[in-house]
Formats: sequence, C-alpha cells, structure tokens
Amino acid sequence: MRKLNNSAILLLLLSLCSLTAYAQQEKNSLILNLAYHNNNNLQQYLVANAKSKIDGKFRMIEGVTVSFYITSDSAKTNFLGTATTDIKGNAALLIPPSAKAEWMKAASRDFVVVSKADKQFDVSTATTTITKARLKIDTADGKIINVSVLALVDTVWTLVKDVELKVAVKRSGGDLNVSETQSYTTDSTGTIAAEFKLDTLPGDLKGNLVLIAKIEENETYGNLTAETTVPWGVPATYVSEYDKRTLFARRGFTPYWLELMAYSIIVVVWGVLFYLFMQIKKLKKLGIE
Amino acid sequence: MESLAKTKIIEDLLPQKFGKQGKIWVVFLSALCLLGAFAYYRQLSKGLVVTAMRDYASWGIYISNFVFFVAISLVGSLITAVLRLTNVHWSTPLTRIAEIIAVSAITFASLIIIVDMGRPERFYNLFIHGRLQSPIIWDVVVITTYFFISLLLLYFPLLPDMQIMLKYKERSGKYLHKLYSFLGSFWKNTPGQIKISDKAVNILCIAIIPVAFSIHTVTSWLFATTYRPGWDSTNFGAYFISGAFLVGAGGVMVAMYVFRTHYKLEKYITESHFDKMGKILVMLALLYLYFNVNEFMVPAFKMKKPEEEHLRGLFTGEFSVVFWFAISTAMFIPILILIFKKGRKPFPAFIAGILVVIGSWFKRYLIVTPTLLHPFLPIRDVPESYHHYFPTWEEWSIAIGSLAGALLIITIFARIFPIIPIQETITETEEHEKA
Repeated sequence: MRKLNNSAILLLLLSLCSLTAYAQQEKNSLILNLAYHNNNNLQQYLVANAKSKIDGKFRMIEGVTVSFYITSDSAKTNFLGTATTDIKGNAALLIPPSAKAEWMKAASRDFVVVSKADKQFDVSTATTTITKARLKIDTADGKIINVSVLALVDTVWTLVKDVELKVAVKRSGGDLNVSETQSYTTDSTGTIAAEFKLDTLPGDLKGNLVLIAKIEENETYGNLTAETTVPWGVPATYVSEYDKRTLFARRGFTPYWLELMAYSIIVVVWGVLFYLFMQIKKLKKLGIE
Repeated sequence: MESLAKTKIIEDLLPQKFGKQGKIWVVFLSALCLLGAFAYYRQLSKGLVVTAMRDYASWGIYISNFVFFVAISLVGSLITAVLRLTNVHWSTPLTRIAEIIAVSAITFASLIIIVDMGRPERFYNLFIHGRLQSPIIWDVVVITTYFFISLLLLYFPLLPDMQIMLKYKERSGKYLHKLYSFLGSFWKNTPGQIKISDKAVNILCIAIIPVAFSIHTVTSWLFATTYRPGWDSTNFGAYFISGAFLVGAGGVMVAMYVFRTHYKLEKYITESHFDKMGKILVMLALLYLYFNVNEFMVPAFKMKKPEEEHLRGLFTGEFSVVFWFAISTAMFIPILILIFKKGRKPFPAFIAGILVVIGSWFKRYLIVTPTLLHPFLPIRDVPESYHHYFPTWEEWSIAIGSLAGALLIITIFARIFPIIPIQETITETEEHEKA
C-alpha cells in the first residue's frame, strides 16, 4: 500500500512538472526596446516599445506596464515612473524633475526599462545609453537653413561632425523635406546648410511655416528635434463661402443660373396655363354671343 | 367599334346613379376615409410619436404613399397626351379614366405630404422661406403645376359632354344640372369654340409631358441628391419615370375593367382595348425591369460596404420577402400573364393590373424605408426598435384612408360625369361610318 502511495505521489509530481513545463513553453518572450527623445530642446522623454513573436510574426503588445530607471534599476532612487504600452506597443514617460540630480551627474546617461513577469511574458529589460545633445536651427538670407549639432563633452557643449539629420517643414500629415535632399551630414564645423525650395508651400494666415530639424534613432544621441518658425509660406487666405450664391447656400443665395432657369420655366409654364384660363373666358364669351 | 346610333351612345355613356353595389362601395370607402381622418386627428393631437417613425426611419409609408400617388398620376400624360399626340384613336374611351386617376392621385399626393409633416400648420413656410436650391421646393412647384394642367386636361374635353348632359335634366337631377350649368352652360358647340378647345387640348397635351416627366424626376431627386445607399444613383429619374408609367398603366387597366363591368360598357371598352393596353403594360414592365437590373446590378458589382448592407437586406435579408413579392407582382407575373393573347382578355388583364398596382405600392415602400434604416452615422446606444420599421395602426389607417379617398374621387367623378367622352365617341363613330 505504501509503495502504491509513493508511486502515486511520484506520478503526481511528474504530472505537475510536465504541466509547469508546458505552461512555461506557452509563454512568449517579450522584446523591449528603449529610445530617448529630446523634442525641440524642451521635452526629454523615454519611449519603450514592447513586441513579441507570436505564431511566427512580430506583434506589438498592448497593455504591458513597464518601469523606467535612470542609470540602473538597482536603486529605488533611480526610479523615474511607470507607463503602459498602447495599441502600437509604445509606452512613453517624460523624464521627471525629480531625476535632475542624477541627470546632471554626467554628460552620458544610461536608462533602463523593465517589465514585470505575468501570465503571458517573463521579465524583460532593455537599456539605452545616450550622450546629451541638442540641435540648433537658424536661418540665413536666401532661405538657407543652418542646423548645428551640439553634444555635451564633460561640461562643454561642443559642435559635432558626421551626424546625419533631416530638415523638413512640419505639415499636418507628416514632415515635408525642404528640398530634394533626403538627409544631411554635419561638416567639420558641426553644421549643415539646407536650401529651402518649397516656394509655393501654403503657410498659415501670415504665411508662417514651422521648420524642423531632426536626428532619428542615432546610437549616441537618440532622437532629437529643433523647430523654428519662418514666414516663407504663401499666406493662406480664407474666403468665406457664406455669402456666395451656391447650390448649398442658404435661402436668398440661389445661383443666378438656377434662378434664371427655374423662374423661366415657371413663367413659361404658368404663362401657358394663364393663357388657357383666358381661353375659358373666351369660350364663355363666344357661348354668350 | 361597331356602328352605334348617337342616342344609343348618349344613353349608354351618361352618368348612372349608384346601384346597391355602388352605394356599398361608397360607404365602404367613406368609412375608410373617416378612419384615416380619425387616425390623423390622433396624430395631430399627440404628434408624430403615434407613428413608428423615429430618428432612423423618418420616412415611412406616408412618403411611400406619396411616391406611389405621384407615380400613378403619370398615367394622365401617357394615355391622354402621348397617345393623343401620336394620333392613336383607340385610346379615346380611356382618356377620361386616365385623367381622373391622375387628378385624384395628385390631389392625394399633395395631401399625404402634409400628413407626413409634424407641424402641418407651418406648411406655408415652404413657400415663404423655401430655398430654390432644394428639390423639395421644385417638387412643390411642379406638383401644383401638374395638378392644374391635369385639371384643365380633364375640363376642356368635358365641355362638349356638359352640353349633352344639360339636355338630360330629368335624368341628372336638379343639383347636378346646376353643376353642369355652372361648369359648361356656355358651350354651344360652335366652330369657334371647338377650334379654341382643340387648340387648348393640344397645348395641354404638349405641356403635360415635360411637366409629368419633371414631377417624377424631381421626386426621384428628393432621394438621389443624397449619398445614401440605395438612393445615390444617376439612374433614379429614369427609374422613377419607367416605374410610374407601369403603375399608371396598371391602374388604368384595373379601372377599365371595373367601369366596363359595372356600367356595362363592353361596346366601348372592348377586348381590343385590353389587348392593346396589355401589350403596353408588358413593354412598360420590361422597361421597368431593365431599370431595376441597372439599379441593383451596378452597385452589387462594386459592393461598397454600405451598398452591400442595403442590397443584402433587400435580396436575402429583412426585406427580402417584400422585395421579391414586389418584383414578382409588379413585373414578372404580369409579364407572364399578359405576354399571351389569352392573358390579355379583360379578366386576366384586370388581375395583372391589380398585381402591378399592389406590387408597385410595395416597391415604393422598398425605395423609401430600408435605406433610412442604415444611416452613415449610427446613433450611439440607439434603441433596438430604431433599427426596424413597421407602421402603427394610425399610419396604416391614414395611408389606406388616402388610397380610399383617391378611389372615392374617381367613384364620385364617374357618378357625376361620363367616364367615357360622349362627344368624342360620337364624332369618332360618325367619322368611322363615313369612312
């Protein structure tokens, strides 16, 4: 009997082990990516992206809560905050003022993002290291756009050469390059000069356009942008249709051609009817005579 | 037509008093009208909430009825104008039937549109504040015009008959004699009067065709000038006109049989008339079928999402029973009956006519309502009932009451005036004998 019990316990344990192994096999690995952004030298934030290979295809994972850290995730003081991934698998977090002391410690900083283990995924982490940098955008006569890349070396902002960047105009549907050149690389002075060739581009009411210089997914500096407003666009003129004679206008603003057509038809047809009513009168007169 | 003596023709065609059947028929129609009036009183006092119309289906059987009335009224221009202008003399006995159908239908088309209004006392605003760009205003103008043209087209050919009826005071009675006297005592049948009358009728026949086409085209534009699936079609004007010709001809076929049988007019509305009208009806049914194929096949080929929902609803979904009933009764079965010579005998032709009229009424319902149940911008958390429409008893009563009202006008007209033109029949008979 005791032997039987031992066998049963052994079988149960084996079953549990295999079930656990099966459950573990079911879990997919979560891949985290971390990117640093500096928008217009005003907003510094981190974006974590969560994806996983499911059924042979990479899918963005929504609803994963991730924790962000500066320097490392070993100390609670380095904790920046948490965010949850959206439908595109992205979770963004502004670097809070509380991290200023840690941020100011060096020109280069490390960031860590960590996701907790759950039913679907195990713990996952990602790190990124950036050197503090910024873009400076300026314009010159002849619609020339000058962009400089400055990086912090020790405590000095230094112009950096051989950095690839783009110069564009901000539009509602996406950014539009200012010329045929897709991207520029900074020269030995850490600067590029782009010629603005979009002379007929509509601007706002005053003809203002927003120029944007951007470094995208740079391994050293992350994602940087800088913007400036220039009056190089064609001023948009708003013409009110309210008082125009159109088919969709209000009463009293019927197009002339429609009025002419409609009233002509009405006058002709009712003229004929009036003539016929007169004929009845004539018939009466003939009958009396 | 066999030779008939003038007095015999007059004797046969003078209006006859209602017999027992006629009286029962009038009482029946009046009762339906009264029920409709009571239902309308309830609608006026309680508001449109007594109907099944809600935010989605804001046009129900009132507008279906309106489109039906507008459609059937086209028959006036078909029988009277088109056939007269093309010198088709066999249609003479049918002209007045066609014209009175047109007048009564257009009268109730005007009334039913007011019934559909939540605040009918504001109707005058359509004229004061109407936008000339709106097809609704064009409809108001063109319906009014068509009404007067149809009325005149009914009146002018009646004048010679009026003179004949005035000679039969004993038969017509005191009040009718006064009415005939008021309407046509001035008619002396002088060459001058005949010339003016003939000219007027010719002018009316020419004028009524574009106006009749306009009334149906404009009515179709009430729908086609929107983006809604089922309505957003460049085919709609022609589709409506072809359908209107069909239902109008069907209505005349029914009226021909009823008047022929009830008033014993077999010598005047002959089997030949049914044969010819039957052929016209087949042609019109095929024409309407052609436009239906166009109307459904082209969107079905492209199958844009909203159109798909609409088409599936009609062909296999919620409205499929009504849809196939309407298509079968308005087109397929009448074609199958009337394509054979035996089917163009009076009784089968009458059955075909009834099927056309009934099927056409339901066809109008299918044009109006299903589209409205699939809005482009659905309301959030809308009650389930908004997705469906079935008329309330008030709506049925008003709609049936209006149909009964139109029939009542035709019935009373036939009691007061000769339903077949007497003078024209005499003239044609004499000309035939001379020839």
